[in-house]
Amino acid sequence: MATRFILRRLGQAAVTILLIVIVNFLLFRAMPGSPDRILARNPYVSPQAIQQTRERWGIDRPLIPDQLVRYVGATLQGDLGFSFAQRGRPVTDVIASRLGPTLLLFGLGELLAIWIGLALGAYAGWRRGGPIDLIGNGISLILYSMPYFLLGMILLLIFASTLHWFPTFGMTTIGARFDSPVAYVADLLPHLTLPVATVALGLIGQYSILMRSSIIETLSDEYITTARAKGITEDRILRAHALPNALLPTVSLIAINLGYVVAGAITVEVVFNWPGLGTLTVEALSARDYPVLQGVFLVLSISVVLANLVADMIYGRLDPRVRS
Amino acid sequence: MRSTIRARSGRVLAIVGLIAVVLAPAMTTVRAAEGDLILKVGTDQEFSGLNPWQSVYVVDYEIFTLNYDLLVGYDENLGYTESFATSWTTSDDGLTTTFKIRPGMKWSDGEPATADDAAYTYQLVIDAMAGELTMGSGYIDGYLSSAGLKSVTATDPETLVVETATPTALLIPAYVPILPKHIWEKYSLEQIANAEADGFFANDPPVVGTGPYTAVEYEPGQFMRFARNPNYWGKQGAADEVIITHFENNDTMVQALRNGEIDYARGIGADAFDSLVGEPGITTVEGNANGYSYLTFNGYPKAIEGGGASTRAVADPAFRDALAWGLDLPQLVDRVLAGHGTPGTSLLPPFQAKWYVAPAADVQRSFDLAKADEKLTAAGYVKDGSGKRLDKDGKPITLRMTWPASESELATAAQFITEWWGDLGITVTAGVTEDETLLVDLTPPEAEPPGKANFDTYMWGWVGDVDPNSLLQPFITDEIGGSSDTFWSNARFDELFKLQGQTLDETERKGMLQEMQEIFYREVPNVPLYYDAELHAYRTDRFGGWQNQPLEGGTPLFQFGPLGYTLLTAAGEEPSASPSEATAPSAGASPSAGATGSPTGGTSSNTGLLLILGAVVAVAVVGTLVARRRGAKATEEE
Repeated sequence: MATRFILRRLGQAAVTILLIVIVNFLLFRAMPGSPDRILARNPYVSPQAIQQTRERWGIDRPLIPDQLVRYVGATLQGDLGFSFAQRGRPVTDVIASRLGPTLLLFGLGELLAIWIGLALGAYAGWRRGGPIDLIGNGISLILYSMPYFLLGMILLLIFASTLHWFPTFGMTTIGARFDSPVAYVADLLPHLTLPVATVALGLIGQYSILMRSSIIETLSDEYITTARAKGITEDRILRAHALPNALLPTVSLIAINLGYVVAGAITVEVVFNWPGLGTLTVEALSARDYPVLQGVFLVLSISVVLANLVADMIYGRLDPRVRS
Repeated sequence: MRSTIRARSGRVLAIVGLIAVVLAPAMTTVRAAEGDLILKVGTDQEFSGLNPWQSVYVVDYEIFTLNYDLLVGYDENLGYTESFATSWTTSDDGLTTTFKIRPGMKWSDGEPATADDAAYTYQLVIDAMAGELTMGSGYIDGYLSSAGLKSVTATDPETLVVETATPTALLIPAYVPILPKHIWEKYSLEQIANAEADGFFANDPPVVGTGPYTAVEYEPGQFMRFARNPNYWGKQGAADEVIITHFENNDTMVQALRNGEIDYARGIGADAFDSLVGEPGITTVEGNANGYSYLTFNGYPKAIEGGGASTRAVADPAFRDALAWGLDLPQLVDRVLAGHGTPGTSLLPPFQAKWYVAPAADVQRSFDLAKADEKLTAAGYVKDGSGKRLDKDGKPITLRMTWPASESELATAAQFITEWWGDLGITVTAGVTEDETLLVDLTPPEAEPPGKANFDTYMWGWVGDVDPNSLLQPFITDEIGGSSDTFWSNARFDELFKLQGQTLDETERKGMLQEMQEIFYREVPNVPLYYDAELHAYRTDRFGGWQNQPLEGGTPLFQFGPLGYTLLTAAGEEPSASPSEATAPSAGASPSAGATGSPTGGTSSNTGLLLILGAVVAVAVVGTLVARRRGAKATEEE
């Protein structure tokens, strides 16, 4: 039953997330060191004041069960604590403010990559050995193997530093004030172009290579031969028979990729100083802002779980055998 | 293929969006027609926020001195100058200091700024001291607690009387911003001091201050925007606004400077800095850092159960002195800092020109392995038959050496030192340690909770204030269990430290600091490896009047107070000779567009190209749609 299938998968996802919360707690506590020791580097802070800070942060209490219970309880209520670096800001606020830019950047990048990558892969597989296949496959391999930051830096040097077509960094021009949403979008789009292009180019290679091999495999299936025997045009065979089946493996790849949005965001965002979760992760790492890092890890792992859930659902819809 | 109308319209929308992305630059209009002159500053450091007590990094100090005035400010050579106070006198017994507050001064919101505000600010620290609290990160209140602040009174709106427990040299240089009482008094000490408290006062914009600029917008982790304070008492710079932007990627910051998207960059990496040197339209500044990187020896005098140093030798000044002869400091500057720095000598950096004393020629060490070898043998550390150096217990010396992960360049230093000391028969096992772990390893039994001081040698750095006191304090005996990481103890040094903090006569104080520096150099609790350079760069096409603070060895911004900002002038209207400017298309840009210098303003000459590109995409998309529709029709026919 479809409902039972969905409920079961939802239940599994919830359990996984709870386990992630606990592992997340243990992982960060397992790291040696204690956040209050940095205060000791300041000659003007008294030992009494350091002790007060330990009590305030609750790190004078036993790790298990006191701190664990407190952490899981707080997390379930959406309280992830306070950022060390951005003083006085709750981690949830810090992360929430960075979520939008990342979703925008990667949403657009994924959309472009899905379109172009799948089309390119399907065409290359269909016309295997043709010029598009040879060139397309070569380019795909290069793009696939190139790290995001390198691709980003190359685009930055060519289109921002040399040609001056696009700005170097940020989501909008610093210092710009916008009278209308139109003016805002007009400033946002040029800033968005290079980062989105980087994400899209990086993914196109991956998607097109997978789509190509998937199409080639499908084309050797018997029902394709049957379709040919029926006299259906080649174009129709590709569109109506080969493509839908060849899409199955790519759907799971794409859905899983969506879960890695944050992880993938890190290098692209840092190159373009894009104010998203990726830049936040690097900032939190360099500032040793553990509460924020912990929050980002949580968001990251939950999004992977959710993406897998979505992949299952879509797969179930495309291929009824999965549901039974 | 199941293709509903909704799905199709979604696709069309997506396509329109994509076309818009491609065409967008051509549609961008030139902004900043308001004519505002905006100074755009890039920094490698992240903001801690707008509540000054929470300040940690240099950029935080920069922000609060733009917003607020100190009682006493700093001039172009770091001498004292009037700020919130216009003059100050200390009583003969040195216990009472009277500040005259600038008459008729106003906060940026128009409220009068008086001695009452200063008294309120200092009283916060007295209250925190009474409750054994740190205020925020403990740096700002520390200036007043170390000065022995006892009481503060505003006897009239223009007079502030401050009493200290002992005579003190630390009150005048106390780096404490004077806050508006009428804003801050609504919050409890806990809400001001504790960033995790309920109702914490983050001091969100618009900030009310007496500084030349006040923060009007803050995007955490990204940028802070300041507008001119209309009520500022002093001369104001040409910039109508100042925007400080944080860059996580150094290369991007440098590209942004090249492209004119920012005017000033702080904290540039050595390689990027070298590539900027000599570039037209850009001035690079190599300032001296007010701090140093060091190699510390674990001087803990007793054995520690399950911890401590692996050999007693590191607690012996003669051993440390000998090893310091085995360090080629100029080579470290060349190889670790790519030449951007100076070899270390004193625990006070040469930046503190008033207090720094270079070692006398007859005691100054240089790199001399033969002499190091000789000194080690003379001190009783002989080599065994296989060439291994033995400690006084007859055990071969193997020194552990580490550094914090946040200072990755020290790995290079460790490689060299391992080799040099290896030549002396001393094995060095070098490896990086995560910062937090290292901080725990450095904790001695005296600390709370107690640690085991589990290390032999390690490298890190100290950064100072204008006053030398904070750079000296980690080496006094009382700080073992606090900020001391050498566990070195010297009675004369302790005595001088106390005296210098109470001596107002600068010549007399300098004499004491000289003796302290000599003792330090002789006993080698740590070896100052080098003074890293501050690598900054700025553009000259939009602003002039850049002036280093201090004039010798300083940088224009990110020093002590807002002086650099107030000296800026608008550059002439004539186009600059910079190649990046010359190639940047200026079509469609009004003369005032120079004020933003943003490349988005100059993209219109690419409009043709982008239109063609857009047209190609549009044709491709329409073609696909038509083909799809045909395909869909065919499905129905099948």
